[in-house]
Amino acid sequence: MLLTNKTQYGWRVVGVRGRADAEAAEELETTLKAAVAEHPKVAADLSGVSYISSAGLRALLEAARTASARGAEFAVCSLSDPVKKVFDMSGMHHFLRIHGELPC
Amino acid sequence: MLSMLEEIVLLAVNEKTGELRSTREFGTAYALVGAVFFDLALARKIDTSEEEIQVIDTAPTGNPALDRVLEKMAQRRDLKTVREWIEEIFLSRHDLEGAALRSLIMQGILRHETGKRLWVIDVERFPMVNERPQQHVKVRLAQAILTDEIPETRDIMLVAIAEHCGLLGYVLSDAQLVNRKERIQALSNLETISRKVTDAILNLDTSVRQTITKVV
Repeated sequence: MLLTNKTQYGWRVVGVRGRADAEAAEELETTLKAAVAEHPKVAADLSGVSYISSAGLRALLEAARTASARGAEFAVCSLSDPVKKVFDMSGMHHFLRIHGELPC
Repeated sequence: MLSMLEEIVLLAVNEKTGELRSTREFGTAYALVGAVFFDLALARKIDTSEEEIQVIDTAPTGNPALDRVLEKMAQRRDLKTVREWIEEIFLSRHDLEGAALRSLIMQGILRHETGKRLWVIDVERFPMVNERPQQHVKVRLAQAILTDEIPETRDIMLVAIAEHCGLLGYVLSDAQLVNRKERIQALSNLETISRKVTDAILNLDTSVRQTITKVV
C-alpha cells in the first residue's frame, strides 16, 4: 500500500493506493489519525485501492471516530469499484461521509 | 480486558438467578463462534474479505480457547470461506462456552453452583461475584446503540453478536429497541463475520422449519 499527502481546496487529502488489508491497516489508521490531528478537514482518496478487507474498513472507521471526537471533518472520496462494492455490502454510508470526486 | 467471547457469555448470565439465558439456542452458539473470530480479528490474527478468512499471524494470543481455534485454522488450509469456518468451529460450541465460563470464574467474576430442579433435574448456576464487568458491557452496548457516534470497533462487534444472541432485550427497553432498530441493523451489518453469522442463523431457522413441516 502506498500513501500520499496533499492539500487541496482546504482539505488534507490522503491518497491510498494498493491493498488496504490487515498488513496495511495499522499504517493507514495511523496516517489518517495523524492527518486528523493536524488538519480540520481530512479526506481519504480511495480511487487507487484495489482491495479492501475488514481490517481496512476498520481503519477508516477509527479515523472517522477520531475526527468526530476532535470536531474535525473526515470524508472518503473517489471510491474504486472494489471499494464501492464492499462499502455497499457493509453499509458504510451509515457511518462515513462519502464523496464522489475530489475536492471534497 | 475480557475477550469478546467472555463478554457475550457474561451478558448471557441472569444477574438475579445466575442461570444462563439460552435465548436463541443454536443462534447463540453461532454467535459465540462469531465472537471468537472477532477476538482473533482484534488480535490481528485473521482478516476477512467479502467471503474468505485469511490467517495472517499464527503466533498464540495467550487465550487458550482462541489459540485452539487459531491452531486449527493454521492447520486446515482446505477451509477458506467465512461460512465454512463458522460451520467448522460451530462443532466446538460447547467448548467455547465452557472455556469462557471457566475463565470468568478464575477471574473472580462468576462462581459455579450446582443444584437440582424438581429434585431430579441437574441445574448449573453461575451467580455474579463481581457485577461491574457485566454492567460495563451493558453500558457500552447502550452507548453504541443509543448515540449516533461511531462506536469503537470492539463495541460494533459486541452489538452485532449480542443482537444475534437475542441479548439486547436485557440491556435496552422494548421501545428503545424499536426506535433504534435501524442503528442496530447498520452496526450489525458492518462486519463480514457478522453478516455470515446472520446467514448461518437464517439457514438454520429455515432447516428447522422444513424439518418441523415434514414431521407435521
